[in-house]
Amino acid sequence: MTVEAPLLLSDDPLAPTPSRRLKLGISPRGVAIGAVVAVVAAVAGLAVPSIVNDLYWMGILVNGLLLAFMSLSVGFMAKHLGLISLGQTAFFGGSAYLVCIATSSWEWSPYQAVAFAILGTTAMALAMGVLVVRATGIGFMMLTLAMGQAIYQVVIQEWARDTTGSFDGVAANIGDQTFLGMGVSDLLDPTVFWNLGWIVLVAVTYLLWVAGRSRFGVILEGTRENTERMRFSGYNTFLPRLAAFVFSGFVAAVGGALYGLNSGYVSPELLNFLKAGDGIIAAIVGGLGVLLGPFVGAFLYVYAQAEFNNSGNLYLYTGIASVLVLVFLPGGIVGTISTLSRRLWSSRTGRKPQA
Amino acid sequence: MSLFRATSVSVRYGQLRALENVDIALEPGVVHGVIGPNGAGKSTFVDALSGRTRLTSGNVEFDGADITHRSVRWRRKAGISRSFQKTSVFNSMTVSQQLELVAHRNHERDLDGIVDALSLGPVMDRVCSEVAYGTQRSVDLAMALIGNPRVVLLDEPCAGLVHDESVNMLQHVRDLCRERGVGALLVEHDVDGVFRTCDVITVLNLGTVLCHGTPDEVRKDDAVIKAYLGSAA
Amino acid sequence: MNIAQLLNGLALGSLLMILSSGLAMIYGLRGVMNFAHGALYMSGAYLAYTVTNHVSFWAALIVCPLALAVIGAVLELVFFRHLQTRSHIEVGLITFGLALIIERIIGIIWGPHTLPVPAPDVLNGTSNVFGTAYPTYRLFILAIAVVMAAALVFWLRVSDTGLHIRAASQDGETSAILGINVDRVSLTVVCLGAALAGLAGTLAAPYFSVQPGMGMAILINVLIVVVVGGVGSLGGAMAAGMALGIVQTVGAVWLPNLAALLPYIALVAVLAWRPTGFAGKRV
Repeated sequence: MTVEAPLLLSDDPLAPTPSRRLKLGISPRGVAIGAVVAVVAAVAGLAVPSIVNDLYWMGILVNGLLLAFMSLSVGFMAKHLGLISLGQTAFFGGSAYLVCIATSSWEWSPYQAVAFAILGTTAMALAMGVLVVRATGIGFMMLTLAMGQAIYQVVIQEWARDTTGSFDGVAANIGDQTFLGMGVSDLLDPTVFWNLGWIVLVAVTYLLWVAGRSRFGVILEGTRENTERMRFSGYNTFLPRLAAFVFSGFVAAVGGALYGLNSGYVSPELLNFLKAGDGIIAAIVGGLGVLLGPFVGAFLYVYAQAEFNNSGNLYLYTGIASVLVLVFLPGGIVGTISTLSRRLWSSRTGRKPQA
Repeated sequence: MSLFRATSVSVRYGQLRALENVDIALEPGVVHGVIGPNGAGKSTFVDALSGRTRLTSGNVEFDGADITHRSVRWRRKAGISRSFQKTSVFNSMTVSQQLELVAHRNHERDLDGIVDALSLGPVMDRVCSEVAYGTQRSVDLAMALIGNPRVVLLDEPCAGLVHDESVNMLQHVRDLCRERGVGALLVEHDVDGVFRTCDVITVLNLGTVLCHGTPDEVRKDDAVIKAYLGSAA
Repeated sequence: MNIAQLLNGLALGSLLMILSSGLAMIYGLRGVMNFAHGALYMSGAYLAYTVTNHVSFWAALIVCPLALAVIGAVLELVFFRHLQTRSHIEVGLITFGLALIIERIIGIIWGPHTLPVPAPDVLNGTSNVFGTAYPTYRLFILAIAVVMAAALVFWLRVSDTGLHIRAASQDGETSAILGINVDRVSLTVVCLGAALAGLAGTLAAPYFSVQPGMGMAILINVLIVVVVGGVGSLGGAMAAGMALGIVQTVGAVWLPNLAALLPYIALVAVLAWRPTGFAGKRV
């Protein structure tokens, strides 16, 4: 009987054949290991303020942390869709604006404002995504550029002054309310704010990692590589791209909301083309092919900014750095390091590296 | 009622008539060959039947239902798949990754069966861009066969293969179609291969059907001989 | 709307037309969206300021395009030629970095202030256009743009080099097999595109005066023009450049609240309707 049962089952066309388990994407065990690593990283990062112990450098680290949200969102789309967005400022800056407007003009609590900013901006990403994710290559760059610039133009208009403050920007007004136990002075203090920002950043990075390794990530890879074959294999090639775009917009929105809380003030500079350039260059310098590339790139970028800004030639050095990295280290800094270390490892063990 | 039937299919690009009133019917377990000289409209025909190219007129039926305006994705889910003349695989993925990707969507329960039938076992963990061209052709074909499709449209599966590989490939196609009761349309440049493999053959020339019948009937057809001699001259 | 406003639109459109034709040609040939195009235009304008102050505006009209052609040669020889095998998006991002560098170098040399450039005396007055007094200098811009556009189209249609450019834009690989030296054609095109940007900068200097943000500001408009016109299409870029100039100027009168948004609305509308732009890929 025990021998016959599987035979009978295999004659049944609906029975699953146990011979080959589908293993698309990461296993639950991998997800769990990643979670452990993320928790360790999150906890370890909380020691940073007491190690650095310097207000100026903590301020710079917080800037790096906030920029990391933007460069991660650019990097996620670059890695999984092969698309460079020039318009992530719309989501980062848009969300920061909503936090400031909601707490000041509408007198919402910081919780309501942050939730509204993130949800509202993500909804905006959905609406814009429908328009832009069909485009490829240069078309996508141009559409996202136009979209980011359109938001900028709306914000600086005189007729929008009552809401956006035009060129003057908007200040948040949290008053004596608190956000997760932090009052205004805590939010403005980089040594206190770091803890919140770091935990959120690690959580978001973990989410991006899981998304990239999951079945969803494999489907994105297939779509990026051969859209037509994906369609002829029965896949919808629009929705996964849209989902990736919205997810990436969500990451930028989370960062923007944190920015609004931390700086307590937003101005149109947050929405302009150069700010988008910051996020992209940070992502490129770190490396687009590796998840942690943009993460590391953002911190390197603000560090370099702080070092070079004294001379007033910030964008000169930024430009030189991005050209040098793009020409000589196409994988970015983290990408190059990981390729080198893999090559080193494989030459030691004598195994061929997996591409 | 045929499993898959195309009636008076025409495709025009502006003034150019790529296909003109072509009919075809596919039956389960039968390999239906389509041959014709260069420019006969063979590839356009596969594109038209698979939903890649819009028909100018005519209609396509599957299981008795009109599917002329159905999307590529709908057709694949309904059980109509295709392969590509210009190898269409996922270059950066391993062979097993991409087969699993396709299998996942199409609820394939016996991926091993396909892998064994096409002898892909040894290359499963290799990145696709690194395997031999002939193997890539097999991967392309495997992706079309995943998920028990009821109709497969094969666009020159032997393109670029050497003779022995080509014989093998057609052998696989015939065995798999017979075993699984698949209705296959086999567009091929290799005329001898088609005569060996197919049960029924349609000959296209300049976008129209020149003749239709069993290999023996087609072989004796004067118009076919003339068309092929004409194109060779 | 009056004639003066329409003419303002035509003058702005002329500048966009000159700039975008260069950008479109470079894109057609190298497949690279040159984000440094705004910076090249800006370089032309600042050079024009210096040359006008030391020699004359007429000299600037000759010198600036030539100087920019040299920068174009550097761009082609150092970057585009060596990075042919890289993805076009990467090379585009490199030009973005170059734009930052060039704009900052200009800032170091000329400082952060807005600099006025006088138009030559001959063009300084007004002319009568259908009963409206209109600044002669803007008519001059328009005239130069029309002559330039006609000459460019004629040259592409008639000369051997023009034929090679058109062929290489269609299909670089095949052209190379057919014996066209794509690298040389590309050098010509990038130099010409940069020279046109220099010409536009020189022409713009007396019109808008010269300021540090001018490169980035016009870059976005020019990118939109090229995409709307159909990437790689010279005729499309010219038509779209002129159209955007008019729409923006006239829009500022009719829809002052929306005028700044019109280019973006136009871009999204065109790309949603026709993803390859008005004219597709054709030179």
